[in-house]
Amino acid sequence: MNRFSSIYLPLATAAIFLAIWHSMVRLSGSDLFPTPMEVVHGIRELIEKGLLLKYIVASLFRVSWGFLLAVLVGVPLGLILGWFRPAFQALNPMIQILRPISPIAWIPVAILWFGIDDTAPVFLIFLASVFPITVSSMAAVQNMQLVYLRAAQNFGVKGPQLFRRVILPAALPQIITGIRIALGIAWLVVVAAEMIAVNSGLGYLIIDARNAGKRYDLVVAGMVMIGLIGLVLDLLIRQLEKFDEVKWGYGQR
Amino acid sequence: MKLISTTFLCGALWLALITAMHGSLNLKWFAFKAPGAAAETEKFRIGFLPVTCHLTCPVTDFINQQVEGQSSFDPVRFSGWPELKEAFLSGYTPATFILAPMAMALREQGVPLKVVYLGHRDGTAMMVHKDSKIFRFEDLRGKRIAVPNRYSNQRLLIFRALKQAGMTINDVELVEMPPPDMPAALYSKAVDAVTSGEPFMGQTEIDGYGRVLYLTKDVWPNFISCVLAVHEDFIKNDRETVQRLVDGIASSGKWLDQTMEHRMDAAKFVSKNYYNQHPRLLEFVLSKPPDRVKYTNLALRKPDFEEIEALAIEAGVIQKDVIFEDYTDASFVPDDSLVQASSYEGLKGGEVPPRK
Repeated sequence: MNRFSSIYLPLATAAIFLAIWHSMVRLSGSDLFPTPMEVVHGIRELIEKGLLLKYIVASLFRVSWGFLLAVLVGVPLGLILGWFRPAFQALNPMIQILRPISPIAWIPVAILWFGIDDTAPVFLIFLASVFPITVSSMAAVQNMQLVYLRAAQNFGVKGPQLFRRVILPAALPQIITGIRIALGIAWLVVVAAEMIAVNSGLGYLIIDARNAGKRYDLVVAGMVMIGLIGLVLDLLIRQLEKFDEVKWGYGQR
Repeated sequence: MKLISTTFLCGALWLALITAMHGSLNLKWFAFKAPGAAAETEKFRIGFLPVTCHLTCPVTDFINQQVEGQSSFDPVRFSGWPELKEAFLSGYTPATFILAPMAMALREQGVPLKVVYLGHRDGTAMMVHKDSKIFRFEDLRGKRIAVPNRYSNQRLLIFRALKQAGMTINDVELVEMPPPDMPAALYSKAVDAVTSGEPFMGQTEIDGYGRVLYLTKDVWPNFISCVLAVHEDFIKNDRETVQRLVDGIASSGKWLDQTMEHRMDAAKFVSKNYYNQHPRLLEFVLSKPPDRVKYTNLALRKPDFEEIEALAIEAGVIQKDVIFEDYTDASFVPDDSLVQASSYEGLKGGEVPPRK
């Protein structure tokens, strides 16, 4: 029964979705929007040309580096801002101003600063994911239960020890949640980031297919691949939540 | 801590793996270099869009590769005008194909550029939906027309046609739209008419829902939309290279207009290696009719630009008189009749060799 609900149930939903998609295209008589089969043929064509692997690797490369930089900057920054009140007061308004700006708005700046190599998309992905990580790390420290700190004080734990033994472990579950959300966002902006004239990547595939005349099957193929890889990424990053260090922080349901 | 050490280890391994794969698949880091091969000279980049207005850019690159073994420049394909312009402004592309009024406006705003050569003549159409009741320009009253950019000559052309029809800009609604999105917009009747460079107009005709309202050659003969612009510093520092570039562009333009076989060859290799479009698109717009777009007679002429200037001021894209002698440098090809067609013999029915 468990197997049924965890595997067959989502598959059935997907099958119904595809059937509706197919019949909607047929009913509307559109010859521009592709049916699911045409998208599968499009994906096969990309595989045969050897482009699909290249594009997936390129997108994952940019997202990996942008996201890694965001974690390296965001987590320490968030911890510092969460712990030191003056730092929070000084920087938080600035962060809240920069946070809502869409990466698309940064595209012109990114081109002017970095040209159109891999650096500009990495920068855009970094920008999109650094703020959620910073804010969640910051909140994690600020919302820490005081009882941990009091207990630590009673035992005379101070300085770096306090940070390593108490603050970081207490904040970790919420930090991991922030990182998971940020990875989703990083992958989300890959299309926008690759709108710059890089010449590879799944976002580029979509832009390129629009240039190629009536190739909307490839546009949808790019969308499907982005969705599927997003699913895999989320499943992978969820594994982090299974570690004992953070498991205690999540609800038991 | 198990979590942190495991994450770091996996993360580091993943980064190394994905970087190596990206390096080998997309950046060709590990490509074998023949020991005897000449050191590759530093190439400069030229920006272009996949439209017929910029066709001479990839054609020159391809012919250079076939005739001389390597090209002196690296054509970089963009998808939209803003990105193309920004890459040019940042110096990433020291030379670029660009809309003539956009080049004028940039120059007016203090960007040190020089227009050195034309990209093409004609090669634009206004398309309406085949079911629509629009048969003359006057029928566009109250309709919505998509133009590629406010700086596009397609928009200026509408100003010109409005005046001839005794209408004003308030009689039509103009929307800006990237040319690749125009066929779908016309198909779904989101707009009543679309106008941009080919092959996006020809595409609506091939797919059977677009009808030509006018080709530019019929309403504004020898229409210019795009020009080749070069940074002033580039001309100052390396005039020889710019000369070689313009000579190459000029001779491949002549080559394109020499025979229909040349055009069909160009449609094949440009579609495959540069535009990534179906070859029949370019084949269609380069042949039906053959003078739909032209690549000869591309030297800069003052009267052409003065007409564009006047319309651009009227359309509000430039403010005051820009001076032809200031934003152009016509000295690279002073006389068009002296341009020799490229000696490239064409594909001769063979396969398209891959781009280097």
